Amino acid sequence: MEQVLIKLTVNGREEDVRVSPHKTLLEVLRDDLSLTGAKNGCEDGSCGTCTVLLDGAAVRSCLLLAMEAQGHEIVTIEGLSDGQNMSPLQEIFVNQGAVQCGFCSPGMILTAKALLDSASSPTETEIREAISGNLCRCTGYTKIVEAVMAASGQPVPVRTHPYEGDVSERAAS
Amino acid sequence: MTDFSVVGKRRPRLDTIPRALGEAKFSADLGLPGMVYGKVLRSPYPHARILNIDTSQAERLPGVKAIITSKDVMPYKWGVFAYTRDQQLLPLDKTRYLGEEVAAVAAVDEDTAAEAAALIRVEWEPLPYVIDPLAALEEGAPLVHEDKPGNVSVRIFVDEGDVDNAMADAYLVDEGEFTSPEENYCMLEPYAVVANYESTGVDIWCPNAGPHMKARPISNALGIPTSMVRVRKVHIGGHHGGRSEVSPADFMAALLSKKARRPVKLVYTREENMNCVRQVHGARTWVRAGVTKEGKLVGLDFKLIMDGGAYASTGPIAASVAYQMIEETYAMPNLRYEAIRAYTNKPPRGMYPHHPRTTYGGLEMVLDALAEKLGMDPMELRLRNSVYEGYVTPTKTVISSCGQIETIQRAAEKAGWKEKYGKLPPGRGIGMSSSACLIGFPMGIRGGSGAFVRFNEDGDATVISGVVDNGQGNDAMIAAIAAEELGLPIEAIKVVTADTSMTPSDQGAYSQASTILSGGAVKAAAADAKRQLFDVAADLLEANKEDLVARDGKIFIKGSPEKSVSLAKAARTALGRDKAILGRGDRWPKGDHKREWVSNPRGQLASAFSYGTAIAEVEVDMETGRVKLLNMTAAHDCGYPINPLSVEQQMHRSALEAGPAGVMLERHAWTAAGQNINANFTDYWFPLATDVPNIETIIVTTNDKFGPFGAKEGGLSISIAMIGAVANAIRNAIGTTVHDFPMTPDVVLRAIEARNESESGSTTHE
Repeated sequence: MEQVLIKLTVNGREEDVRVSPHKTLLEVLRDDLSLTGAKNGCEDGSCGTCTVLLDGAAVRSCLLLAMEAQGHEIVTIEGLSDGQNMSPLQEIFVNQGAVQCGFCSPGMILTAKALLDSASSPTETEIREAISGNLCRCTGYTKIVEAVMAASGQPVPVRTHPYEGDVSERAAS
Repeated sequence: MTDFSVVGKRRPRLDTIPRALGEAKFSADLGLPGMVYGKVLRSPYPHARILNIDTSQAERLPGVKAIITSKDVMPYKWGVFAYTRDQQLLPLDKTRYLGEEVAAVAAVDEDTAAEAAALIRVEWEPLPYVIDPLAALEEGAPLVHEDKPGNVSVRIFVDEGDVDNAMADAYLVDEGEFTSPEENYCMLEPYAVVANYESTGVDIWCPNAGPHMKARPISNALGIPTSMVRVRKVHIGGHHGGRSEVSPADFMAALLSKKARRPVKLVYTREENMNCVRQVHGARTWVRAGVTKEGKLVGLDFKLIMDGGAYASTGPIAASVAYQMIEETYAMPNLRYEAIRAYTNKPPRGMYPHHPRTTYGGLEMVLDALAEKLGMDPMELRLRNSVYEGYVTPTKTVISSCGQIETIQRAAEKAGWKEKYGKLPPGRGIGMSSSACLIGFPMGIRGGSGAFVRFNEDGDATVISGVVDNGQGNDAMIAAIAAEELGLPIEAIKVVTADTSMTPSDQGAYSQASTILSGGAVKAAAADAKRQLFDVAADLLEANKEDLVARDGKIFIKGSPEKSVSLAKAARTALGRDKAILGRGDRWPKGDHKREWVSNPRGQLASAFSYGTAIAEVEVDMETGRVKLLNMTAAHDCGYPINPLSVEQQMHRSALEAGPAGVMLERHAWTAAGQNINANFTDYWFPLATDVPNIETIIVTTNDKFGPFGAKEGGLSISIAMIGAVANAIRNAIGTTVHDFPMTPDVVLRAIEARNESESGSTTHE
């Protein structure tokens, strides 16, 4: 199939890519731009692991042709950090234990970012609804919901166990 | 309180940072120079003889670099046990399920490979097939394997004590029959392999539950020494029991690479991952339980039929674990258990934490029915029948540390059991269940784990272990254990894991053995390295090495931290004296090696047992049968938490997989022609964030003597316990037992209607 030259704005950079017109944004991000943070978990839009931001909205890059993404600002998980230091949202996900195997994490974090950019303190129900298109098999979603609550400055349950007494001691000192 | 500086402390998992950054490379993310792409041709029939395969047209397609068929393979059959070798990794004679591998192509891109695969002409002779396990066991059923009469893949029979007498003498006996279709592992990462075959050997990156467990069968199938197969470290997107064995994909990618003389990447679609790797057994369980007037269990009696699909896989283990977990949960002298695992023309089935849900969930509902008839709180019934430290099961396994009673009490307290049970409004229900989980059973010469610890010039340590991290945090777990033992901050530990050319053999992430065996080996290796450091430090500190301790990067005389030498200095001093600090350790399961799943199910089964209690609360819409899960509470005896955060994570994972997924939503469906019709995330109902309530967790500690720092395993007991908890909550809400999993609205509604009919005394037949 004949290839066409397209211009994509990804993580603030202009990228010229020669692609077959039937290629999805996900394929081009992964195969042509080496941005493998976006995952291919189902290729039919049902798992959310390929989520990227398109003009700030969370979209499934497997359901969008690369050509359609021209003229829009695309942000992938790689665009949230400088590669060395995590963004505050990524750090909260790690600290709250919201990342386990990590296959859903890029999509989950970007979905959370889109939510937090549009709602300053989402309720638990709003968070669950926002991430309901992002499947996760490891976390039971509990710690993800807590991470998003924490990221929006809302209180989350502090869990300690009897033998963790020194944790609160340290916090008190 | 134990004075640890690293273990037992809640801390973020450092291994999750690359995953949050998006830089973690999973198998499908990898690329090598000159790499080509694979596609698999699969059987369109549930059972068919391969008469001829013609690849000539496909070979002529531009861009095709290699095609493999059964002509390219040796007659090697994979089996977990010597007596279960039944799976040719590319079948020679016939295919046994719809979707089984027939041929594979490598080409310059995936589209070309797919086009070429479609050009391969296979001459088929469709054979009679059987997809229902009960039909498969009937006389005259089509044989899935000609040498397996009656389609019996595995039969497990255990008969300890005298069950018939016990039931005859019991004050009350109740029974039930429960059914369940197949479930799917649903690991988020679809199966993917990169293989690079060169004259010196083959490098393979793929999701796995134990790289050493893969290398051996791959080398056998390829006919090369195991040392020539290097299964390499890679990020893995979940295991859940479904990455346990060698996959035909590993073998096909390696063979394609050999033939194409280029690296090959083979990535499965979601459908292939759900249908052609492994599924979870479908099952039918009949269970009978007898109790005394005081609610003491006198005996349990089980009959199971499990749908094993086309190959044996982990069959002997899969068909056994349920009775084992149950006899390690409830003390009772008489146990009879018969499980028949049938071959059918469906995808092969492997291990899963809570399968068969019919056995665990069925028993728990029968126990609640008995408690009701006795007028006894179900919690009291479980307390009265709990096993305890030193208890010997009917099949002669001794229970070591056991925190089951504490898990029951603390879960009940947290969930408000006493305030809620029997006092909830109509349509609401609460349920409880407990379970043991076995940890670290003997697996012969590959059943143990080895580890090395070495020091770098700056005093940081590198830990080398065969343990694999599937996402559960095993890398962070061994780092914490090494840090604690060596007296280093965790940031000073670098781990090298899961690479068969570099790391010592490890049993793999099976039987929840990673902490107790891999972690135990790392602790031993760290202790060995520390002894070597103390030899040097004793000199520097002018002290006896027996009096030394290491903590926070320093070595000092116990009780006198003011005079110390850093580990870094001790390590460098050793190097200056021509001595490298190299620690080694290994750890093997504690069990009776003569015990065998089929032929000798007696003796010490495993190294330790974790314990868990789950409580769930539901609301059922009595008009529609729809169940809303209101909350889940889980208490787990992990021995001692290496990192409490990780233990909570594992409990959360288990609760999701068992409650919302296992009881309420998940099932595979089939056409009469043997086609799986929901091998995708749209039609297979994976629980969403909106289906799952908050999960409360409680960590119970028992400080197991065998486990490193007293640790056992992270949270798998909850995978089993939450099945019974949610099933019993639904039972409690609707006032009758539901017999079919998953308990979708139609199933629940049928149970409600059946109850209404029996209460009104009407009959369904007019």
